[in-house]
Amino acid sequence: MKKVVVNPERCVGCMQCMVACATAHSKSGELFSAICEVPFPKPRIHVGVGLYGEGFPNRCRHCDPAPCMLACLPGAIYRNADFDTVMIDPDTCINCASCAMACPFGVIRYHEDIHAPIKKVVAVKCDNCIARQTKGLIPACVEVCKSNALTFETSTDALKRKTNEVARTVSAEAKQVTAPGFNLLNAMKKAQTELKVNCSRRGN
Amino acid sequence: MSKNYSEKTITTDGQLMLKKAEEDQLETVWDRYEAQLPQCGYCEMGLSCRICNMGPCRIDPFGEGPQKGVCGADADIIVARNLGRMVASGAASHSDHGRDLVEVLEAVAEGKAPGYQIKDEEKLRRVAGEYGINADGKDILKIAGELAHAMQEDFGTRKKSLTLLLRAPAARRKVWENAGVTPRGIDRETSEMMHRTHMGVDNGWVSLLLQAVRNALSDGWGGSMIATDVSDILYGTPKPVQTAANMGVLKADHVNIVVHGHNPVVSEMILLASQDPDILVFAKSKGAAGINLAGLCCTGNELLMRHGVAMAGNHLMTELIIATGAVEMLFVDYQCIMPSLGSIGDCYHTKMISTSDKARFPNMEHQEFHPDNAAALAKTLVRKAVENFENRGEVYIPVEPVPAVGGFSVEAIVGALGGTPEPLINAIKAGKIRGAVGVVGCNNPKIKHDYGHVKLIKDLIENDILVVDTGCAAVATAKAGFKNSEALQFAGPGLKEICGALGVPPVLHMGSCVDNVRILVLASALADALGTDISALPLAGAAPEWYSEKAISIGVYAVASGIYTVLGPMPPITGSMNIVKLLTEGLDDVLGATFAVEPDPEKAALLIRKHIEKKRAGLGLDSREVK
Repeated sequence: MKKVVVNPERCVGCMQCMVACATAHSKSGELFSAICEVPFPKPRIHVGVGLYGEGFPNRCRHCDPAPCMLACLPGAIYRNADFDTVMIDPDTCINCASCAMACPFGVIRYHEDIHAPIKKVVAVKCDNCIARQTKGLIPACVEVCKSNALTFETSTDALKRKTNEVARTVSAEAKQVTAPGFNLLNAMKKAQTELKVNCSRRGN
Repeated sequence: MSKNYSEKTITTDGQLMLKKAEEDQLETVWDRYEAQLPQCGYCEMGLSCRICNMGPCRIDPFGEGPQKGVCGADADIIVARNLGRMVASGAASHSDHGRDLVEVLEAVAEGKAPGYQIKDEEKLRRVAGEYGINADGKDILKIAGELAHAMQEDFGTRKKSLTLLLRAPAARRKVWENAGVTPRGIDRETSEMMHRTHMGVDNGWVSLLLQAVRNALSDGWGGSMIATDVSDILYGTPKPVQTAANMGVLKADHVNIVVHGHNPVVSEMILLASQDPDILVFAKSKGAAGINLAGLCCTGNELLMRHGVAMAGNHLMTELIIATGAVEMLFVDYQCIMPSLGSIGDCYHTKMISTSDKARFPNMEHQEFHPDNAAALAKTLVRKAVENFENRGEVYIPVEPVPAVGGFSVEAIVGALGGTPEPLINAIKAGKIRGAVGVVGCNNPKIKHDYGHVKLIKDLIENDILVVDTGCAAVATAKAGFKNSEALQFAGPGLKEICGALGVPPVLHMGSCVDNVRILVLASALADALGTDISALPLAGAAPEWYSEKAISIGVYAVASGIYTVLGPMPPITGSMNIVKLLTEGLDDVLGATFAVEPDPEKAALLIRKHIEKKRAGLGLDSREVK
């Protein structure tokens, strides 16, 4: 089974995954009309800020066993075995936030949703775009990511790819596998950030 | 003091005011910067293209995703087009500022600008001479009119090359000719840059960048140079003048009026109105001890240079100064004025006035200044500022001001040297002064406020390098105390001896950001005196905290004029390592100078010192090893 795989070293922080996710979970599924909808569509993937201003796409890992599912008293959280996806039933959810407390990754949010009863605030998180997948589409965040920070592949393929990447770094003629320009940009951003923190120690 | 504040700025007034702003629940530029993180990597690398509507497009820097835009442009073309458009915007901004001044000069000549006058007749005649205008026996206003028209032609398309290029050394003009980058018309080069970057026009990344060079030169040796010259003609050529800097220049017992922006057209009239005897009497009647005018950013620098008007702060301080609660009225013209200012003004009694027909801001009152109404409108508004004095709430002026000297035009520097650049050249030859560096540019929340400027300049003067500065850099060093009689203690022994003998500080304030052209003229004078090109001299430029497109244009014309230039923040070019390599290495073959990028000012100082010692060796002067 294919899964969404996060390759954090490739995230350029453009946040297009967030926009695509919110759009995919809107009524219309179209960006320009989605921004006028009620309830306002919100993303289930969240780009965080690393130590040096770099991005990281944070999304549900669909853990097994899932701490959120174990913590959910009304039993609103269940696993969809066909898609190996942890799901939340908005009708059963009581908005108690137990799942968020149990979640080690902070990926559960509380707001209105098109699948929930009107005006009801419910727990919302990544559903692996099951609706898109049943139509033969890949998850929206992966489709829109042009730097391959998010990929949709089987664990076997992802791990084989990673294994090969590691293997190449120990090749006799090991070369920098990432983009030199991106490395340069990150080196500069890191220098800027370190200056803010460290320069007071230099007696200035 | 919270660690958080000292991570944002090195200035005491800034840290104290950040605390006050937090207590007052203001949102500042730093908060908005944090909220924007992470910033889009495609855009940071110059790899996103919004030029046409087949797009928008972006290129995957890792080489697996899309490598071409819909039109077929690759990373090199997209980065070059984006950079070219940044230069075009920067050059247009400086040059449009210059044009506005030429229009005032024309209006003065026609007698349609009451309040404005020709303050420096000698400079008017000198510049008119450069434009080939026969001034003999002519009325001064007639000369002004003819000069205005001649300058307007420089903006157009009737010329083969800009008039003021003649100020550059002959060898430099030859470099431009050989590279095909001699600018022909000020607006023409901006217009051509925009044309070439349209989809399907210039798709050679090298030729695109050469046009960017020509466009920047049309700013440095055209639009900006005209702006500075006409400002000197209309408002006086700066001479050394005593002033003061930081938020302590606000006075608790005075009506405080602050001018912010770039063009002196409005701020000069506010200055006149703030000295009007009737309005001063009115201010006393309202319980104020007087009217205190202070500046922010470059329009502040313009007034500081010519009149010693005190400087309240630079770019990142513009929001915080309103939070003092001590500002009765804040005037803005254009450029670098954050659209957030109006809403900060709403939290205090400060009246916020926008003045330019081409620049509006939310939550500001718009009062349009034109040459014919400026003097009268300034009086009306300054009166309103006085009336606002009684609406003041609590006032918090966090620090005492730091004294500084400003006003170092080329004319003033040569004057201080005894009428010729010879003494400066001798000091450089003798190695007492190793070289000179122009430190320019903005503030940027990506760099700790003022740290980039102050640390770099401290390291340079400690090592006997004379520093001239402009813009927000010049404000940073004034606040840091590098521009007063005590500043010599920071200078190395050679620099201390020379500056001490001349009675000048080791860091010379040369003005606003258009006044960077004064540095070009000074560099040309040094090159001419030595019979060489600017690129052979032990000079460098730096923009340690730059943020604006104008700064990009300045950097490009500095390098194109033969001055090695070190940038603090990385420009959006890393998407194309070809372009990074060209700008940091390849340009040396074409223009005799390159860019470097180094956010750490300590390391930037080392780069600059190595460059200066290398150039000294090239001239056959003694050269030190820099470690």
